[in-house]
Amino acid sequence: MTWKRICDAAELAENSVKKFDVDGIPIVVVNYGEGFRAIPPICPHMEEPLAESGVVAQCILTCTKHLWAWDLRTLEMQGETERPLKTYETKQEHGAILADIESELTYEFDTDDNDSDDDFFK
Amino acid sequence: MKITVQNKNGELAFDCGARESILYAGLRQGINLPFECATGTCGTCRARVVSGDIDVRWKEAPGGARLKPEKGDILMCQARARSECVLRVPSELAVSDKSPAIRRGVVRGRRRLTKDVMHFDLHLAAPMSFQAGQFVVLEVAGIDGGRAYSMVNFDREASRLSLVVKRKPGGRFGDWLFDASADEAEVELFGPLGRATFRPDEDRNFVCIAGGSGIAGMMSILECASRADYFRSHQAAMFFGVRTLADTFYLESLSRYAASSHGNLEVTVALSDEAVVAPLHAQYPILKLAQGMVHEAAAKGMAERDRNVIAYVSGPPIMVDSTLRSLITGGVPIKDIRYDKFS
Repeated sequence: MTWKRICDAAELAENSVKKFDVDGIPIVVVNYGEGFRAIPPICPHMEEPLAESGVVAQCILTCTKHLWAWDLRTLEMQGETERPLKTYETKQEHGAILADIESELTYEFDTDDNDSDDDFFK
Repeated sequence: MKITVQNKNGELAFDCGARESILYAGLRQGINLPFECATGTCGTCRARVVSGDIDVRWKEAPGGARLKPEKGDILMCQARARSECVLRVPSELAVSDKSPAIRRGVVRGRRRLTKDVMHFDLHLAAPMSFQAGQFVVLEVAGIDGGRAYSMVNFDREASRLSLVVKRKPGGRFGDWLFDASADEAEVELFGPLGRATFRPDEDRNFVCIAGGSGIAGMMSILECASRADYFRSHQAAMFFGVRTLADTFYLESLSRYAASSHGNLEVTVALSDEAVVAPLHAQYPILKLAQGMVHEAAAKGMAERDRNVIAYVSGPPIMVDSTLRSLITGGVPIKDIRYDKFS
């Protein structure tokens, strides 16, 4: 476990989405009312920047570009969403939000050159 | 030429002519390839070429901004096949029994609605069935690329499609259409396309939020609903946003729909750049007026209404994004939101 401080919980109003830089790793934190989620900064659909395109209501994070959405309580995919949201484990200590950031979480939008092409679908 | 599309669950094959886009070839043969705008702006129809020779029509298409051409990524709406091809697409594939087709039509009945908005009809060589809210992509000889326009009218077997175009500075299609030489011109069209559709059998109240010429598909929805006497038993609200009073159009038709709605269709015209003035009230007393952006007018109007509605949204991308955001924040579930983003 590599717990790193991202921000103070008070920095994020309820139903807000905000981007932070943690030692060079871009992290988006979402306050969905019942808790916090720390996620990569882009939508796994078409790489839209979630700090701008994301909106939270009723615990659901929706990317307004093409309406991919996830219930942040369960991470269940909503509607026509086809890929899961990746998350960093989080905890709160003394009013701060910490995330377990071993290495940067990314989505495979294309293949590794040395690998088979199948990553395109992940 | 044979095109094979693969996804993680399997593959499907279809035939593609030399002069049609791979997307259109698949769609007209009932393959539900992923797409939204069909004209190069959204990026939804991305695919990776595994093998085969591709000719990319619009290389600077904004929808291709995040593609990796060095890995063989293409937009299928902009790609023509020069040989048999194998492609991969990152979404689920299925075959549908309702297919769009390539059609021909003649431009007639051009009617200028505002300084930069033109209404016109396409008289089709053969009738086309479509659902209210759908669009077609037009191609005109000598102008590169297709333009997507929603039908304004509604008919079961339509031999005439009414469309509306907003002229933009430097827009070649608008310039072409605003010139009298467009009369009787023959155009090629592909469609019908689009899932932001209205069907009376869904039995739901609805709300329409339109910016500028995005009102086209909403007019078709209101026409379809009026003909089905849908407003006898359902409620609807229409929010139509333009900059100034001089930019409004279709107010007469909107008044007519509202007047025949048994009091169940409320139409609000939102003016973003002009103070609300009295004269419109006198001319169209049944229409409500609001000042401000249309998504704000809609959010305010919807706060007083039942949220259990289907919401239709159409207009310029920024207007659509703001509206989607305000609908979601306002508690409308994404499964009930249907939109078209045209740029």
